[in-house]
Amino acid sequence: MRIGLEIHIALPTRSKLFCACGTSAEQPNTAICPICMGFPGSKPMLNREAVVVALGIANALHCKINERTSFVRKIYFYPDLPKSYQITQLGGSLGETGYLQYDKKKVGIRRVQLEEDPAKIVREGAYTLLDFNRSGMPLVEVVTDPDIRSQEELWGFLRTLRSILYYLGIDIDKEVKADLNVSVGRDRVEVKNVTGIKNLVEAAKFEEERQEQLVKEGEAVKQETRGYNEKKRATEPMREKETDEEYGYLYEPDLTVFDVSKISYKKPVYIDEVTHALAEKYKANERTLKELTMFDSRSLERIESLKGRYRMQSIIHAIQRIKKFGKEGISDSAFEKMIGLIDNDVEITKHVIEEVERGREVVVKHAKLTEKELERRIVEYLRENRRLLEDYKKNKKAANLIIGEISKRENLHPKDVSKKVLAVLDKAAGGEISI
Amino acid sequence: MKDDDFDRLLKTSRLRLSAEERATIKRDIDEIIRYFDRINKAHAEGGPAHQPISVPTRFRDDNVSAFADFELLKKTSKLHKGYILGPKL
Amino acid sequence: MTSSIREFASKKKPGDYYQRLAAEVEELNKEYHAFTTINASQKGKAGAGVPFSSKANICVKGFETTAGSKMLRGYVPPFNATVIERMLASGEYSFLGETNMDEFGFGTFGLNTEVPARNAFDKAYVAGGSSGGAAAATALLKYHVALAESTGGSIATPAALNGVVGFTPTYGAVSRYGLIDYANSLDKIGVISRSAADARTVFDLVRGADSYDTTCVVGKIRDEKKERFYVVKELLEAAEAPVKRPFEKLVSKLESMGRKVERISLGILAEAIEPYYIIAMAEASTNLAKYNGYKYGLQYGELYKRYDEFFTSARENFGTEAKRRIILGTFIRGESVRDRYYTKALVLRRMLIESMQKVLEKGFLLSPTIPILTPKISDASRLTPVQNYAMDLYTIPPNLGGFPHISFPYDYVNGMPVGAQLVAAQANDYSLLGFVDEWEKGFAYRFAGNVGDI
Repeated sequence: MRIGLEIHIALPTRSKLFCACGTSAEQPNTAICPICMGFPGSKPMLNREAVVVALGIANALHCKINERTSFVRKIYFYPDLPKSYQITQLGGSLGETGYLQYDKKKVGIRRVQLEEDPAKIVREGAYTLLDFNRSGMPLVEVVTDPDIRSQEELWGFLRTLRSILYYLGIDIDKEVKADLNVSVGRDRVEVKNVTGIKNLVEAAKFEEERQEQLVKEGEAVKQETRGYNEKKRATEPMREKETDEEYGYLYEPDLTVFDVSKISYKKPVYIDEVTHALAEKYKANERTLKELTMFDSRSLERIESLKGRYRMQSIIHAIQRIKKFGKEGISDSAFEKMIGLIDNDVEITKHVIEEVERGREVVVKHAKLTEKELERRIVEYLRENRRLLEDYKKNKKAANLIIGEISKRENLHPKDVSKKVLAVLDKAAGGEISI
Repeated sequence: MKDDDFDRLLKTSRLRLSAEERATIKRDIDEIIRYFDRINKAHAEGGPAHQPISVPTRFRDDNVSAFADFELLKKTSKLHKGYILGPKL
Repeated sequence: MTSSIREFASKKKPGDYYQRLAAEVEELNKEYHAFTTINASQKGKAGAGVPFSSKANICVKGFETTAGSKMLRGYVPPFNATVIERMLASGEYSFLGETNMDEFGFGTFGLNTEVPARNAFDKAYVAGGSSGGAAAATALLKYHVALAESTGGSIATPAALNGVVGFTPTYGAVSRYGLIDYANSLDKIGVISRSAADARTVFDLVRGADSYDTTCVVGKIRDEKKERFYVVKELLEAAEAPVKRPFEKLVSKLESMGRKVERISLGILAEAIEPYYIIAMAEASTNLAKYNGYKYGLQYGELYKRYDEFFTSARENFGTEAKRRIILGTFIRGESVRDRYYTKALVLRRMLIESMQKVLEKGFLLSPTIPILTPKISDASRLTPVQNYAMDLYTIPPNLGGFPHISFPYDYVNGMPVGAQLVAAQANDYSLLGFVDEWEKGFAYRFAGNVGDI
């Protein structure tokens, strides 16, 4: 199977691509103006921020950036397209010939282009209802080569793309829209307008099975355009368009050739590479690092800005604690103070975090447990898990499990607790302490 | 131009002509294309000029402002529950 | 020639001047059809300002603006074009109405619309196109300036045929925001007036940077006087004899004014019509795709029809010339021929600009504005499209290249005015106005009417 994708990514700008209408209106037709409604006489003015974000995407996908970028009109007739042409990019696209890599797989990127979204269509009975709030919203279209060979690869591609976009400030979890080209043999089938990552994978799976079945039965796969029915989880033929559109592209003469060479944009984060490098350098657990930073750019930023100045273990521990207590919003200075406390063996409780946030001094009483307190806690643990004492009686090696658990619970090194654990176990086994 | 090609152009541009109009327009268009074909003889070198002047790069800042005459804007279409009515799909 | 703007300001006007003028214009319009919309009510600020009109393809908030097309019948723009905004904001001008034109600007003689405007000198003759209404109105009204628009000669030609001044600035000097597009890389808003001084006043008011038009370029507008006038042989050859005769007299007169007139050969200028129409039609066919009968303008009610059928039915309301240009433009953009026509035309445009700019740094280009005398409506309507397009021979080179040009009356033949066209280098707009100022000191224009005199 070969899969190629055309993915549409909504950009997180405040205003639309060519006009000052907002991008977050909810009531239909409340963020509209003559420009996004294509009124006669209106003209587009390109949103700089959309270019910034799109350049970030093109760069993250290793594209060659066209420093002189231009737009075209793509002419076709549909009720949701106010000017009957879409302003998009072709030869002068912002990005060309890049790739996206995950594990050992490389998927070629043909183009990264900036374009406007058409209006939204709501069908109500016989009516076609149009909401132009969406018209003119900025989109980036990423066109891939047909390099994806399996559902697993598709899944990996989408997951990686989602992660790359996430660190550029774009969340495509639900919103991503794409057209899929799927072929098991020579003829390609295009599946249009699939929304969401899950549906994309489902659609590819369905299409692969459908085409393979046809081949098995000795039938030809028809080159056609299909749609994806979410309820049936199946692709189905789309109503044939009456006219096979010839787009008749034209250079957009209301705009210009834009020089983007001086625009700076966000640098990409490839999270697998980043966590791998951090783990290597600071001898930390790679999986833990990945868990903490995947789709959490705040935590990644904290690690990046504090690494080298504090022990990586302490930074990681501090992040784990704030996540546990839902304190991710803590200020940078308070967070740094917290790491200081960890280095001084203070146990970070919710109360401690709140004290730090309020700017109060947390007294560093030596946090090391007293012998007596440690003993009390071991006893408590054994009472909660009475079976463990019985295991120990049968086999002394069971002590290791208990030592591990206690050290984890108390955040102490196993060697600091082993003596005490063994002593308590012996006393308990001998009946000196009742469990 | 062949009739098929002419029909395809009409379809692409969503135009329908009466028989009479079709005869005149088709004849004119054939004549105009022959006229345009004279540029095949013209010597051409170098790149295209998409615009007559060089237009410098200029962007819009990403600020939101609502359109001033919203009511007048909406009056130009037929509305149903806040939506604009379009033809059947 | 005195400035009618300044003269109007110095006059004491009766309190109901504006209302009386509007009523007179209504009457006049029954004969000349110069206006498509007349601002009879004078909404807003009362009419103390100089009356001005705008071509019907320039959006005026609250007034029906149709660009001469049935497809836009009933369209009331919810916004003002930038030029309108600037005229009104100055407080010195009053909006009188919108002027008649060929549908979307598609025409040389003003005949491609339902009710064409008539020539101000003789109603049997064409007003010219596509800003025919603007030129006729200027020729008939004593105190008035017209905002007009030119894509391939739509200011110069009607100005010449009605005996008034038609000034087309450098491409991009005036914002096109609110101008209903014909061909975006060619469209320019300019002024039709009774003197170069009036054109200058309005130009200075409306020009300059606009945050709504990317192609509106702020550059310094120059005033480099030129003593040398070039007449291109390949162009003048094509003029008919009754045009050549007075033109040669003009040449002698210029020489007696101390100007040096040189005949040069510049064949590329005579080959500009085809690339011009190819580019104009390619762009126009995309601009007209949006008129589908369910948003602004014509409401084609039958929403139960499927969209393709609906659009096709609604679009039957385009006029014949519009249909012709949509079909041709669509043909030109076709994948298999676009390089042969469209791309080649763009290259030829670049070559034309380069060779013209070289000449224009040294002097002006001078020619008649149109190669024939003003035709009768009955004669002009018999021309084939190709014969029609050939009439733009002189106006197309500066329009295709974005060069500023001005048409001014220089003689009268059989009682009808004839105009000459002067072209300057890009951004040297003031030099043209400066020359015509000087011309007007030695040549008195005869106007067709003085409606609204005080």
